[in-house]
Amino acid sequence: MIPNWLVAGRYMDPKDLVPHLFEELRPGFHEKAKPGDVIVAGRNFGMGPKMNGYIAMQALGLGLLTESMPFLGYRAALGCGLRVLDRCPGVLDLVEDGDEVEVDFSTGAFANRSRGTGRTFEPVPEALRDLVELGGTSGFLRRWREANQPKDTSGRQTAAAAHR
Amino acid sequence: MGMTATEKILARASRRDRVRPGDIVFPQPDLVIVHDGLVVSSKAELDAVGIDRVFDPARVYFVTDHDVVYTSPRAAERGTQIRRIVEEWGIQNFFDVGQGGHGHIFPIQSGIVGPGTFYFDNDRHCTNAGGIGAVGLRVGTEIATVLATGTLWTKVPASIRLTLRGRTKPGVFGRDVGFRIVQDLARRGIDLDYRVLELAGDLDPFSLDERIALCSSPTEMRAIGVFIPPTAAIVAAAKARAKRPFEPVFSDPDAEFEADLTLDLSEIEPQVVMTGGVDRGVDISTMVGTAINHAFIGSCGSGMYEDLVVAAGLLKGRRVARGVRLFVVPGSEINTRRMQTDGLMQVFVEAGAMVMPAGCGICSGGKMGPVHSGEVSISTAADNAIGRFGAKDAELYLASPATVAASAVTGHITDPRDFQAFAPKGAAA
Repeated sequence: MIPNWLVAGRYMDPKDLVPHLFEELRPGFHEKAKPGDVIVAGRNFGMGPKMNGYIAMQALGLGLLTESMPFLGYRAALGCGLRVLDRCPGVLDLVEDGDEVEVDFSTGAFANRSRGTGRTFEPVPEALRDLVELGGTSGFLRRWREANQPKDTSGRQTAAAAHR
Repeated sequence: MGMTATEKILARASRRDRVRPGDIVFPQPDLVIVHDGLVVSSKAELDAVGIDRVFDPARVYFVTDHDVVYTSPRAAERGTQIRRIVEEWGIQNFFDVGQGGHGHIFPIQSGIVGPGTFYFDNDRHCTNAGGIGAVGLRVGTEIATVLATGTLWTKVPASIRLTLRGRTKPGVFGRDVGFRIVQDLARRGIDLDYRVLELAGDLDPFSLDERIALCSSPTEMRAIGVFIPPTAAIVAAAKARAKRPFEPVFSDPDAEFEADLTLDLSEIEPQVVMTGGVDRGVDISTMVGTAINHAFIGSCGSGMYEDLVVAAGLLKGRRVARGVRLFVVPGSEINTRRMQTDGLMQVFVEAGAMVMPAGCGICSGGKMGPVHSGEVSISTAADNAIGRFGAKDAELYLASPATVAASAVTGHITDPRDFQAFAPKGAAA
């Protein structure tokens, strides 16, 4: 998904990551990918730490369907605000590279427009849709602060609050 | 249908009557543990969105175990940053360098974590909590969200039950059993990803310290928890030192398990795990005689006091072999102090071992005491992925504290039973 040196080097800026997304599998991928494109993957997608890859996918506006992925990978992907359905058994049989597909992540409805086939998978759990819509953990925290930590409340002004 | 112990603990923390595997809940932790590696980044993450406080400074524990002696100028700088953050956030439970020790060990020993406790922790080996019948849930970098909001979305994990039958042979220890458990699960095609491995059966002879050792290897196979129902004696001892109220929790007789397996303890031999994964264990007989250079006793899986007692028993009156370096890392400052008073410290020092400050020791990436290219290590580390603590072409064997100590004395992999007769399990308890 993403070269190891970017993971080990803790690169988190999409600008650094996007040009290398899937570059080993498909050079120039990031130039061809368009927002709304969907990555369809097999079993155990994204073993090991791959958050940097999910950041790049989210930045490109991609969605992700996997037959399976490790739970902590799924967690990391949602935390990056990536739209992902992690339990789509058999999805690789339903799609060829380049097919036109439609995915509703909130219902799990999958349709292959090129072939006229479809199936319903487990959707993003309702409790987590906010997290994805807000762009992941940072968006979630930002909204949480607005709701729960009004400005200038306790007088405990920290450097962070002063910078705001 | 009843609930497993883990489900009950999550239901209580989530203020729900019941939960089922797959449910998304927002549990409120009894405490939160943050290790030294994630304090500064969590602060930066919350600063960036303008969150200037933690949900409850009284329930937050900062522990220092991954880089205790500051092995680089950057680590020293991080120490000063952590101390400043403790002040800014008003953290009430700060275990600085030289205080506390391993964050997966001393909270259990000192009554901070007891049977039934629920907490969030950034590091995956918080599964040690299951050794005393508690649940510690690993959340990685999302610990920042917990610090701010006091909770985090959590999928209730499914549980797999493994019933242990019979008794281990003398000379076979908790780590050996843990290594065999993950081999057997791998062979049977059981995927532990985000599952809780609940142990059942003939568990009474396993002391608290050995239970902690059992938790290590399943965690490396991606289990999110290991749960071992505590004995009455373990509960009583925990109550006597409790720093917070707790209530032991057990699975209902009709709780649902995704799989139900058994393992015969009496057939387990001391194990040696090949480099590259904790499920690569073999019986020690096939590895005896392999020369070693580097030995380490400690880590979250083998830093309990009994581990040190077993190792000292083998080292007493003996010397570490020429050309071998042996590191001993107690799991906690409690253990270090006890080693002084019980004479263990003297045994290790006279044997030529290097006793290091309590914490993760060599296992946290080889910041201290790494292996060089081509060297052979045998240790009780939690993990032996290629390059885990040093050169990528070094051998990183894993074994029990007894096997590591015996091997350090001879200079090659040695069955500890060749050195001394061990009492049958439970005989002394």
